[in-house]
Amino acid sequence: MDKKSKSLTRRKTLVAYSFILPNLLGFFIFTFVPIVFSLLLSFCEWNSGGEIKFIGLDNFIRMFSKDNSFWIALKNTIYYTVVTVPVTLALALFLAILMNKPLKGRVFFRSVLFFPYVASLVAIAVVWMALFNPDRGPVNSILMAIGIENPPRWAASTTWAMPTIIGLTVWKGMGYYMIVYLAALQGVSRDLYEAASLDGATRWQQFVNITWPCVTPTTFYILMMLIVATFKSYDIMYITTQGGPGEATKVLAYHIYNTAFVSSQFGYASAIAMILLAMIVVITLIQFKFEKRFTSYL
Amino acid sequence: MRKRRLWMAAALTFTVLLAGCGSKEEAVQTEAASTAAAAAEETEAADAKETEAAGEAVTLRVVLWDYSNTQYYKIMFEAFMAEYPNITIEPVEFSADEYDNVIVTQLSGKQNFDVVFTKNTPALSALIAQGHILALDDLIAADTEFDAAGYAGLMDEMALDGKTYALPFRYDNNLIFYNKDLFDAAGVEYPKDGMTMAEYHALAAQMTSGEGNEKVYGAHFHTWPSNIYEFPDRTEEFNMFEPDTYDSLISYYNEAIAMQDEGVIQDYGALKASNIHYSGVFYNQQAAMMQMGTWFINMLLENVQDFSWGVCTLPNDIGMVGENCIGGVTPVSIGAYGEHPEEAWQFIRYICGEEGAKVLAATGIVPGYSSDAIAEIYNSFPETYPNTPENLADYIICEKNVIEVPLNAHGKEVDTVFQEQHSAIMTKSVTVEEGIQQMKDRVNEILAAE
Repeated sequence: MDKKSKSLTRRKTLVAYSFILPNLLGFFIFTFVPIVFSLLLSFCEWNSGGEIKFIGLDNFIRMFSKDNSFWIALKNTIYYTVVTVPVTLALALFLAILMNKPLKGRVFFRSVLFFPYVASLVAIAVVWMALFNPDRGPVNSILMAIGIENPPRWAASTTWAMPTIIGLTVWKGMGYYMIVYLAALQGVSRDLYEAASLDGATRWQQFVNITWPCVTPTTFYILMMLIVATFKSYDIMYITTQGGPGEATKVLAYHIYNTAFVSSQFGYASAIAMILLAMIVVITLIQFKFEKRFTSYL
Repeated sequence: MRKRRLWMAAALTFTVLLAGCGSKEEAVQTEAASTAAAAAEETEAADAKETEAAGEAVTLRVVLWDYSNTQYYKIMFEAFMAEYPNITIEPVEFSADEYDNVIVTQLSGKQNFDVVFTKNTPALSALIAQGHILALDDLIAADTEFDAAGYAGLMDEMALDGKTYALPFRYDNNLIFYNKDLFDAAGVEYPKDGMTMAEYHALAAQMTSGEGNEKVYGAHFHTWPSNIYEFPDRTEEFNMFEPDTYDSLISYYNEAIAMQDEGVIQDYGALKASNIHYSGVFYNQQAAMMQMGTWFINMLLENVQDFSWGVCTLPNDIGMVGENCIGGVTPVSIGAYGEHPEEAWQFIRYICGEEGAKVLAATGIVPGYSSDAIAEIYNSFPETYPNTPENLADYIICEKNVIEVPLNAHGKEVDTVFQEQHSAIMTKSVTVEEGIQQMKDRVNEILAAE
């Protein structure tokens, strides 16, 4: 490479950097620095007022050996994620396949399914909780009308509170993922289906051998987004159950919020946040490892 | 190609993650950013001192909630400014729901609030532990006109480790409010002071009638844990920071659960799930009796004309009538990073003293300060509002004011445990005994973590 083209490259690089600089600066100041501060804070004791005191691994020792709420929250987070993610994924794909067919009123149904995603979470949560009101809600009225004597008490029961919240999360999110799947489905070549049906493949065989493999990159994307979103979710619990009854719907992010802003233990909250971060990073890495095999034919 | 996608995805994940952690970090961020600001403020404070000496204009930043929709603040602040023309009050308002948490975040950023309102004693305990408010002892000692006796023992409750941190702006007793019209229609005698819990239960059962949307409940328990622990707290059998005393809750919880099972009160879970506010239940005459704080007097004066109401003291099992009041305090303190502590003291002494108390009492809100003049205001309500009971002052001014939650460094954590365990017990997710045992275990753990 001669001198002239080198300087041109450098100039081009500088221009490129100048474009990303404003965003990078914002990211660095408002996200990266606080993350590092939070990491440091996780080894300290700080109540937002006085001195920041270095206490080594005490926060982590407390978390693993003494804080029962941490384990409950961890268990709830895993429960919430493990159920929410596959259910949302399956429903979104099912609906997308349905909405991809030349159905009468398709646009209307698509809009209806997408609506919960664009509506405000607070409004959606209020409607959901009214539907599932244990005494006066329509859901229990219907259940009782069809002969179920003791319908679940939904958000007012430790057993059913989490499924109620999972239902809300799925309902709210599936419309969005349906749209993502729809886009993917429309990218699948019609020729493949035509060839398959000429060869006498059934609908199920077409799904297993054509649709599913063709949308795996989308599935992977949705899987990743969903896992991260469910792991760090706390807003739904905050609005609906405040982590209750008891600690039945207390998830890790809610525990972090409580520890930091209610109990003012910012150091300890940072330590829990770091554990949550580590868990998500590990899961993401495993997923990427898996993705190579998952989409190897592409 | 695949590699690039992988990187993009990784970057995406990281960004999403960081966004999630954002809110907490921002709090931390303000701290860092404001260290520099604090240094600048110090010099400003020095300048301010000079202007004060010259009697020049001072502006006090007062942080509080519900300012814009509460008339008495405006009346009080204007009266104060008229009396102290060199002081201007600048209210800084935050949303009521998240107020406690917001001011912690603000004060962590060393905001120069001169006067800080807190919602209750647990929130005050947190601010004390964090060093965000000043001890008032020097200011009190220097002020010869200050009358601590007017607070009927409440000043002692504003002290932690020998230092006083706040003046009691409001103090609320908790009472049973009842709908006289419903009792008259049923031909049942009005509830009396000092009922036993069993008598209260039986009376509520007697007053329960109707089905479906027409149902009138005999009593109403709102969803706060305090609605149970207030009973033994008033008789001083219970103390939130002494887990050994928690057994005193068992009989009250058992009675409340039985009332719930019989449909004499609304179900806790249903109330919680549908977020029903207690006021509507009473205004719409859906409950004959309701246990509530004395701030409800103000709400009734403003909202209820179509039926008469009365009050009596909380039921209990040791025969206490009206000797003790039980309730929370709304404390007012001086911010640690404010620039005018002396003017702030003049201000809080004014609003928490006789002048402020009169403005509060006129609206039916019970002030922390009490005197004959205040009692007079309460007893004169029936003249303006014919549906209110006579002798209300007897229920406002007690021999002893017991504080619901004493000042304690672990106040907010213990409060969280009570919220959670209360919901577990009331939804029958655990038995009363199990729930109380868990309460003891968890609180013991918190108190041990010194």
